[in-house]
Amino acid sequence: MIPALAIKNYTLDYATAAGPVRVLHDISLEIAPGEVLGLVGESGSGKSSLAWALMRHLPENAREISGTLRLGDTDLLRLHPRELTKIRGRRLGMVFQDPSTALNPTLPIGRQVTETLIQHRGLSKREADALAIDLLGHVELRDPAAIMRRYPHEISGGEKQRVIIATAFGCRPDVILFDEPTTALDVITGARILELFARLREETGVAALYISHDLALVTRVADRVVVLKHGRLVEEAPAADIFRAPRHADTKALVQAVPRPERRLIHDKPGDEVLLAASDIEVHYGRASIFRQAPPPATRRIGLDVRAGEILGLVGESGSGKSSVARALTGLARFSGKVRFDNHEITAARDMNAAYRRDVQIIFQHPDASLNPRHKVGEILSRPLKLYGGSAAEIPRLLEQVRLPAPYAGRWPHQLSGGEKQRVAIARAFAARPKLVICDEITAPLDVSVQAQIIELLLALRAATGTAFLFITHDLNLIRQIAHRIAVMRGGEMVDLLPIEDFDADHVHPYTRELMAASPVPVG
Amino acid sequence: MTELFVRLIRRPQGFVGIALLALIAMACLFGPALAPYAPEKIDFLGRFRAPGWQNWLGADQFGRDILSRLMVGARSTVPMALIATLAGSAAGAIIGVGSAYLGGRIDEAIMRTNDAVMAIPGLLMALLLVSTLGNGAGNAVIAVAIAFAPGMARVTRSVALNIRNQDYVKAAVARGESAAWIIFREMLPNAMAPIVIESTIRVSFAVMLFATLSFLGVGAQPPASEWGLMVADARQYMYQAPWGLIAPSAAIALTAVAFNLLGDGLRDALNPKDER
Repeated sequence: MIPALAIKNYTLDYATAAGPVRVLHDISLEIAPGEVLGLVGESGSGKSSLAWALMRHLPENAREISGTLRLGDTDLLRLHPRELTKIRGRRLGMVFQDPSTALNPTLPIGRQVTETLIQHRGLSKREADALAIDLLGHVELRDPAAIMRRYPHEISGGEKQRVIIATAFGCRPDVILFDEPTTALDVITGARILELFARLREETGVAALYISHDLALVTRVADRVVVLKHGRLVEEAPAADIFRAPRHADTKALVQAVPRPERRLIHDKPGDEVLLAASDIEVHYGRASIFRQAPPPATRRIGLDVRAGEILGLVGESGSGKSSVARALTGLARFSGKVRFDNHEITAARDMNAAYRRDVQIIFQHPDASLNPRHKVGEILSRPLKLYGGSAAEIPRLLEQVRLPAPYAGRWPHQLSGGEKQRVAIARAFAARPKLVICDEITAPLDVSVQAQIIELLLALRAATGTAFLFITHDLNLIRQIAHRIAVMRGGEMVDLLPIEDFDADHVHPYTRELMAASPVPVG
Repeated sequence: MTELFVRLIRRPQGFVGIALLALIAMACLFGPALAPYAPEKIDFLGRFRAPGWQNWLGADQFGRDILSRLMVGARSTVPMALIATLAGSAAGAIIGVGSAYLGGRIDEAIMRTNDAVMAIPGLLMALLLVSTLGNGAGNAVIAVAIAFAPGMARVTRSVALNIRNQDYVKAAVARGESAAWIIFREMLPNAMAPIVIESTIRVSFAVMLFATLSFLGVGAQPPASEWGLMVADARQYMYQAPWGLIAPSAAIALTAVAFNLLGDGLRDALNPKDER
């Protein structure tokens, strides 16, 4: 039987100013018709390059050294650009990582779906309209006829991804490439997209290449899993086995790094002294003007307290208001309500004195955006030292604390990897010797293995300094490993605030239960 | 920096722009030394002499050598335009970044005032200011700088609004940094690329604005060999000796084109597309 997709001895280089860089080494893999192959690897392992090579949309500096790419009986490497447009979308579909950029914001959804159908299936406008409504209904979108008339900004991220999936399946391709389709979505939406994928796959029998950095997730959707490391295939195994019996050291490391709620990483108890108590916090964005009313507050009367040395988890899907709480507590957003910190009462950002600014530090989600690209690492770290007392001589110690070599002080942020940047951001927060550090989704953009290292580092810093953490995340498995208590937010309200021991109990809020069910638990 | 320069001269616009600017810089630095005649040397036998071996670009109504006057005049034309642009851009950039940082009603107040100033055409504004401050080169520089600042403020503010939302600015606010530090050290360096491009393009406008002011008689005063003034002087004899008009006009145009090309080249060099 001819495989649906076959890659044989494929090697790819990128020509750069510093000479060629090899991104894929001698890759060989096959996908049988109807099979789903999971491709797992860290960022920079070349998994997206492989997807773009299959779509024949490589950057100009790509050099294909050797190998063949075959889709059924067609040799993709020999195709003329005009023949390619007949393959793309028609026989080889693709679903992208970020649904918000994959749809054209200036065209209604209907046009974007029907255009593909008219192009690839030769339908008339009317037939395409009818089929599009049918397809959108099939991906469980409510009122597909109304969705057709809407623009991308008028529907949610999960709905956009459904539209893209509907379009990809609508052309009945032989193979679909999924490039991290749930990474940009929150847990519950992502879980529903996966359920949809499983159902459609059963109905259509399409073959798929499912790319992700999340091993736990891939084992749930794929039949077979291959692991890619620095452009080399290191392991290939049935999905059911790879978790239970990883053979290669890199796979073992990946498996180790996956957070499991039952493996607790901290064992101590926090003190009883309340460090920060917030009550009735409502965060406001935008003011009322004569022409319009003020928008409703992003959070509704949130109250929480953090004890000295405690790790408090704050979880919820995107838009639940968890980051707004972080912004209020650091004076970045206007809020009403009361914050009590160290016997000092705060009702607005202007009440936050230098001592509060020093004691409460924040680390942001995106390490690329939180370091000024025009400042060297040394200067970035010297600012909190200058503001809060301390000398520049401490910079090597700060770097060592986050396990970076001292010469990094002379580097620019763009010369560091994502994980290293996040370490610098952590060092900047700890330069102030804070009592409370607010971590706003700090591991979300990182790979699982880097995430594990960052968590380990934070826990080591906590052991050394006794700092308390407010840890904001959407990854329930991760937070159950490290938190003493977990607060769950939905739609600006706090639905649950439980000690970790009570998390499996019966009296948890139904929404918390739903979140737990949606978090991918590793197989095996 | 050297990498940027290499990228710049690899592009045709950048290369031509830099070559022309080097020529103009030579004229500014060594013009008086290289000029074949003194700029004010009057030769009554050579009045309106056509371009030839004696006067390469011809002579004017007093028999002064036009090439020599152009070479000496470069010094009073190009640096003035540069200074005025730099002053105007710096003021505009600081207003723009500051306004974006402060936000809210203060931003609104600054930007609406800015719009009001922008509504007055640049030349009219410059004329107005010179007539208030009095004639003279120094005042012309101030007038052009003020006429340029609002446009720059607008461009910078739109860039700075994006930067304002970056986490490193938020981190600085949360850290309790002063407004001056955030504006000058965190935000301004990151808004530099569009400011540099916009100002190089504006230099060419400044050259022409100065020439216009001199032409109208409110900039440099005779017998200075400022290029705009030369055009104004030669206008009466346009039919007798067109070279008196053409040579300084061409010099002004060439300078403007050179700075425009540099601006275009810089815009491409600072935004490397798909370069890994």
